[in-house]
Amino acid sequence: MTSITSAPARAATASPPSSPGRRGPKRTWPLVLLLLGPGAALIVLFIIVPAVYGLYLSFTNTQLTGFAARNPQWVGIDNYTYLLASQDFLSSLGQTGQFVLFSAIIGQTVLGMVAAILLSRPWVRGKGLFGAAVLMPMIVPEVVASLTWASVLSNNSAGTLNRLTGLFGADPTAWLQVVPMVSIIIVNVWRGVAFAMIMFQAALEDVPAELIEAARMDGARALQIFRHITLPLIRGPVFLYLLLTTISTVGVFGLVYFLTQGGPGGATRLAAIYIYERALQFAQIGIGSAASMILLAIVLVLGLVYVRLAKVEV
Amino acid sequence: MKRTPVIAALMATLVAAGGLTACSSSSGDGDAVTISIMETKQIGIDAVKKLIPGFEAEMKKQGKNVKVKLVGDVLTDPQFVTKITQQFIAGEAPDVIDLGDSMVPGFAGAGYLTPLDDYLDKWDGWDHYFPHIQKAMVRQDGNIYALVHDSGVQNFFYRKDILTQDGIDTAQPKTWDDMISRLEQVKAKNGDLPPIVIPAGTAWGGGSWGEGFQPILAGVDQNYYSLKTGKWDLKSPGWEQTFDLYSTLTTKGLLPVQDLENPNPWEPTKYDKFPAGKLQVAAQGTWGWKFDWGPNGATPIDGLETKVDTWQYPAMKSGGETYGWSGLGSSYGIPEKSEHKDEAMLLAQYLSSGKPLAQVLVASGAAPVRDDIADIKPFADEPKLVQAGKDLASSLYVPTGDGSEQIAQAVANATELILQGKADGKEAYDSFVKNATDLLGPTLVK
Repeated sequence: MTSITSAPARAATASPPSSPGRRGPKRTWPLVLLLLGPGAALIVLFIIVPAVYGLYLSFTNTQLTGFAARNPQWVGIDNYTYLLASQDFLSSLGQTGQFVLFSAIIGQTVLGMVAAILLSRPWVRGKGLFGAAVLMPMIVPEVVASLTWASVLSNNSAGTLNRLTGLFGADPTAWLQVVPMVSIIIVNVWRGVAFAMIMFQAALEDVPAELIEAARMDGARALQIFRHITLPLIRGPVFLYLLLTTISTVGVFGLVYFLTQGGPGGATRLAAIYIYERALQFAQIGIGSAASMILLAIVLVLGLVYVRLAKVEV
Repeated sequence: MKRTPVIAALMATLVAAGGLTACSSSSGDGDAVTISIMETKQIGIDAVKKLIPGFEAEMKKQGKNVKVKLVGDVLTDPQFVTKITQQFIAGEAPDVIDLGDSMVPGFAGAGYLTPLDDYLDKWDGWDHYFPHIQKAMVRQDGNIYALVHDSGVQNFFYRKDILTQDGIDTAQPKTWDDMISRLEQVKAKNGDLPPIVIPAGTAWGGGSWGEGFQPILAGVDQNYYSLKTGKWDLKSPGWEQTFDLYSTLTTKGLLPVQDLENPNPWEPTKYDKFPAGKLQVAAQGTWGWKFDWGPNGATPIDGLETKVDTWQYPAMKSGGETYGWSGLGSSYGIPEKSEHKDEAMLLAQYLSSGKPLAQVLVASGAAPVRDDIADIKPFADEPKLVQAGKDLASSLYVPTGDGSEQIAQAVANATELILQGKADGKEAYDSFVKNATDLLGPTLVK
């Protein structure tokens, strides 16, 4: 089983005491404080405090504009009940689910695995070129990636995709309006496949070659070897990747907002875009914060499920 | 103790950093006061840039050493609102902000803008403002928070050249029935393509309300908001009639639904198809003559004034009057947290008067909100703008207050349902009432 154990825990269990005696801990605490203090302070300042403040805001009717902004009131769970009965919010959660499922869990994972397996084959030529091509989308800044895809999917005849389909006599299509969800799923798969490939490639390298060889000698076919030997051995990294990609994909904003702004007609209004619209465009910080908290709770539950399934120690 | 020097060093670093930050915001030019002005449209940036030296010279004449820093940042309205709201809260907003008048109630209500009443009482230019414009600037708490410097009359711009070529009557349509009949003829003659754009749906943002729905609503109903009570009357009869009209236009294939669903719906409609003559009618303010289709506009139309003309809004029913919708355009606001309010107001007054104002109006294609500009060049050389200034006095305008952003959102959502074919006029109205009631809360609804 692959296990990922936090560094401090490992240090605590693996390191022998360097200076046995009662005064040891007293001597080391300034160093520990010095090493961990800045990081802990940053986490408290930029993650814990804003999160707690966000939680507080979610129970108020805080607005950024209008007369109500002057005197925010405590409204209890009103924002939560409003959101959980709001068709728009529930729809945005559903769209986020679709987006995560098809772009991250299926698209990136499957294509990343295929790319990793291909690159691990000794007979494959041009691995460097192939690897670089797959890695390119990951290193391109988000705004450049968005611009690139806006150009590819442009609705006029100069758009790259329309030029290609035009070769077959097709009329220009407004891809981002006709198939908006499919479009953003493809873009996100393109963007995230490299990270999946890197993680799976590293995991595949840890699979003992002799096991594969033994299975092959026993007459197992490639698919059987992958299913019954390789996959169980890399289950930990796969679930860890799924955990990470789910969290990051739930939070995808810029890439989609630039391409569709959540449209047309809210067809790609992912939860992150819904929160942005509510909190910043419509200045309803209280409702935006409550929506963020609901999303956070969903991600936490998903994370726990992944960790349980993978039995990964995080 | 070894900790003391470390703490001291940290404190010294923090103090030094604080000092450096403070230095960066002060002027290095003797006792000069440096104020900043924010412009978010390229035309405004270019126009104000040329006027700053004149203001600084004028201040020098008055014995004041005032420098102006132009913060030019081309932004869409939603981007601007997001950015400036954060700057207001952080106390980092520029001293003068050129903002759309529709944004003023929200910012004023939140206390981000300083009241200008005392300044205006002492300013001789204030007496030249049209009385109905002065009245429209007053917010629900009785104060004025932003100095409107331009305006426009919203009408329907139409491609006169194409309609004439198609043999279609170009006289003013008297009612919406006339207008729809005219649009159906245009559609039939032009490849069955939708002929009219009226802002609608969520992609157009606040424009779906301010430039699309509200001008039509005001033609049938002017009691949907009460300045006295500060409440919105969602049961006022005009709402449903206007949603019905949107529904009719959509079901008859007269509105370009797919283009309205584009993330930037003004691009395929106003900047692409209207100049190309593939869309023949557009709800549009006076600034269309310059900002959109003028020689230096977003997408110039050669021979604009011969190819394009305007219709007023038709009456909803027979016997009603046609009308132009008077939209307050842009205004100068001064943040409550500004440290140089007096100097900022001087700049706002300078840009809102005489030749500087005439230049800005011509650059943006807007009508003046005061009575002493019509004869000042270069404005005097622009007959369409001069006419718009005259039309302004007879145009409709319904001032609104707190909650207009929420109403705009609810209207955008409801018209979106119509565009998507998910609701007819009645269903869209019902959805609007529910949505608007949720968003406005109990205190803002009658």
